[in-house]
Amino acid sequence: MSLVSRPLTCAAALLAALLGALPLAAQGDPSFWRNQPPEQPAAVVVRNATIWTSGPAGRLEGADLLVRSGRIVEVGPGLEAPTGALEIDATGKHVTPGLVDAHNHSAITGGVNEGTDIVTAEVRIADVIDSRSINLYWQLAGGLTTANLLHGSANAIGGQSAVIKLRWGGTPEELLMREAPQAIKFALGENPKQSNWNVDERRYPQTRMGVEQVIRAEFQAALDYRREWQEHRSGRSRDRVPLRRDLRLEAVVEILEGKRDVHSHSYRADEILMLMRVAEDHGFRVKCFQHVLEGYKVADELAAHGAGASTFSDWWAYKYEVIDAIPYNGALMAERGVLVSFNSDDSELARRMNLEAAKAVRYGGLSETAALELVTINPARQIGAGEWIGSLEPGKHADFVVWSGSPLSTYSIVEQTWIDGRRYFDRAHDLEYRQVVAAERAALLAKVRASKEPPPGEEGEDDEEAGAGTGEQPAEAPAEPPAEEPEPEEPQEPPAATRPAARRLP
Amino acid sequence: MKRSRMTAVAVLASLLALPAAAGDTVAFTGATLHPVSAPPVAGTLLVEDGKIVAAGPEVAVPAGARTVELAGKHVYPSLIHPYSALGLIEISSVRGTVDASEIGELNANIRAEVAFHADSELLPVAMSGGILVANVAPRGGLFRGTSALMRLDGWNWQDMTLAAPVGMHLAFPRVAGGDDDNDDNDNDKALELLDDTLADARAYDQARRAAEAGTAPAIAIDPKLEALRPLLAGELPLFVHADEKKQIEAALDWAEEEGFTNLVLITGPNARYLAGRLAEEEVPVVLNGVLLRPERSWEPYDSSYGAAAELHAAGVRFCIGDGGSTFEAANARNLPFHAAMAAAFGLPREVALRSVTLSAAEILGMGERLGSLEPGKDATFIVTDGDPLEIVTRIEAAWLEGREVDLSRDRQKRLYDRYRNRPAPAR
Repeated sequence: MSLVSRPLTCAAALLAALLGALPLAAQGDPSFWRNQPPEQPAAVVVRNATIWTSGPAGRLEGADLLVRSGRIVEVGPGLEAPTGALEIDATGKHVTPGLVDAHNHSAITGGVNEGTDIVTAEVRIADVIDSRSINLYWQLAGGLTTANLLHGSANAIGGQSAVIKLRWGGTPEELLMREAPQAIKFALGENPKQSNWNVDERRYPQTRMGVEQVIRAEFQAALDYRREWQEHRSGRSRDRVPLRRDLRLEAVVEILEGKRDVHSHSYRADEILMLMRVAEDHGFRVKCFQHVLEGYKVADELAAHGAGASTFSDWWAYKYEVIDAIPYNGALMAERGVLVSFNSDDSELARRMNLEAAKAVRYGGLSETAALELVTINPARQIGAGEWIGSLEPGKHADFVVWSGSPLSTYSIVEQTWIDGRRYFDRAHDLEYRQVVAAERAALLAKVRASKEPPPGEEGEDDEEAGAGTGEQPAEAPAEPPAEEPEPEEPQEPPAATRPAARRLP
Repeated sequence: MKRSRMTAVAVLASLLALPAAAGDTVAFTGATLHPVSAPPVAGTLLVEDGKIVAAGPEVAVPAGARTVELAGKHVYPSLIHPYSALGLIEISSVRGTVDASEIGELNANIRAEVAFHADSELLPVAMSGGILVANVAPRGGLFRGTSALMRLDGWNWQDMTLAAPVGMHLAFPRVAGGDDDNDDNDNDKALELLDDTLADARAYDQARRAAEAGTAPAIAIDPKLEALRPLLAGELPLFVHADEKKQIEAALDWAEEEGFTNLVLITGPNARYLAGRLAEEEVPVVLNGVLLRPERSWEPYDSSYGAAAELHAAGVRFCIGDGGSTFEAANARNLPFHAAMAAAFGLPREVALRSVTLSAAEILGMGERLGSLEPGKDATFIVTDGDPLEIVTRIEAAWLEGREVDLSRDRQKRLYDRYRNRPAPAR
């Protein structure tokens, strides 16, 4: 009898101790949402690292990085640090700018596709940021600090996007990177023309020809709308009844007035050319083509237009329009003068963008520093934030990553990730805190067992936003499609840890 | 009876061997050899009639041998994909190009090799990534059918089949707690179907044996049950697919109860929760999902990355796969980077390399022929400028059973060459 009860008593005592400690514990839990933001030391100096600046200084050996009040002050050898500065010895380690993902759908509440209409310019990702998403922490642990949260690709003209910094623990508004310009998602090709989804409920358009006309028609409607308002305001309008605001057309007017950047999902060379010509006809330039997997076929035209190209490193053959996608795309476009980045489009891939960058060395032979720029300064510039982030230069935000080795090596891992001069991820801290979580978990399970309730499964509850299983069951085997650009192809099923993530084509 | 079937399998396998250039001796000199079965060494790799005859620093080059100079290069055995849809899929969203998944629950008679598309554009791309051999498996249903170890280079599926059948694939039902919702009913039904099918197969096997022995009248051949007979006889490994902890446990219990000892578990990161049992029971594992996000938000961020290290520490025999979905087939070339991530998070590097070469060969039952640079093995290897687990490394040449593979067949390289040379457009 006593043999049985003794361990239970011990467990109960441990639990009581833990529960008492919980509020404190939760405060330090790296994965606990709504922590206080990490403190911002007045000054931080990272010593003796290989520093990849992604700026004009290139890669520096044995260099220091000095940060004050969340901004970079200086990068170079033997820097003098103010008294009391937090010193980080990074001997043998590498330091890079925080990684930037120009195409990300993590941390968005619910669906990312308002797919019901071919134009949905009025909907806004900024309204549905899920700052509690654990994806933010996991991506921080991979060195990501900034993400361009885009609407899906179901519509020719989709919703308004939002640039966030991964300020884990912050509210949705605190995550927003307010310096970044406003932008909107366009989409071309199979997705807006519904080639692979809703085949039984067709809507116009069903062809690339139709997609072009939808975009032109919307620009025309926006011009008419603007004229009506101008006439109304000037008193020239015969109609004295106040006009009704149209939020959809207002967003499109902002595009035409250069106040809202266009990021367009695209694959084939023809549709890329088409949108550039439509834009030029309306007096603006496409800021950035997303995916743009045949961009290498029209690289000179992209460079002449001035569009950026945010592509996948090596995904191909998942649908017909990407049959000619090649992993040399990034390098080829870069050689022709296009501003190129690699994006994730996927919550899993966004945890290892440095390794995506490495593929530009393997395929096409970019230099190592140019390759890293595909996930630092280049995407920062594509989202209009290059003035503040993307490189380690004086005056910029102190967003940086400490790596155990070269960021392009598959064997390297992230040790620390800093945003605004605050340490948001620290592997050493994470490892320590696991012990606390494990003890708490064991204590809670012991309590449940002691109460003779059936214990919850050892595997815990299913978790909607967490990764699916290997997805090997029951019949098809998608281990997490990488390039996830949401499509309303399959209705979201209720979550199940074991159910393969719904396959949606990028 | 049993014996004659085994002989038939052996004969079939020998017929499937590709004829290498007879009498051809090639010496690969000047490279660092990475045998996997032993530490790296600078030396010569001697190949005769498609087989490795010697590998090491003291190898003499026989007179008349052709020499391939590889100074500064590295030679590794081919990477081996343990579970793939290569050849059964071209473009996942175009239905006509997908032959990976059959409908119905009982597909034991389905054979992967017969639908293997020899000219799939995906194959040369995979070979450019250092994968010359893949275990190609059908999917769909409870009993999915048999996989085949395929050469990715060749003229048709017949001469590309290196070994078949490799194993019978069973998607073990998810195990439910017995609630009333539909999922659980489906699982209960699936478990019942599994039991019923085995009972049928055993009765059928008994009747067939009796008929063969002349003690009972002949019965009509049932192809599905017939295909299960080698499994019942223990001649064919059972590849059990299970991802969840309880599901894996149930699958292991079930296999033990039913007497299936020739077992391979195809699974994901949850296997780390059962590392002790898998080691103790010596169940070989194909570990998929190294790059998956944690399945539950409370798990450590690196729980999938670190799963391989946990299996290794416990003493589990495993190789690493990429998930094997139709979606993954196009990027099978990234297989080594799954192993590299496992190495970044605790798996010793030499074990990581082994997990996509020799360990895979052994688990697929081809350890005698593939997976390392050892005398007597197939001359199936790659030439690189560095560690194949590093992304920045380039794979420069590949040899399959002593024949050089034409890596320029890769459609992506052709498009690259074509557009790299595109003249600037007129303004």
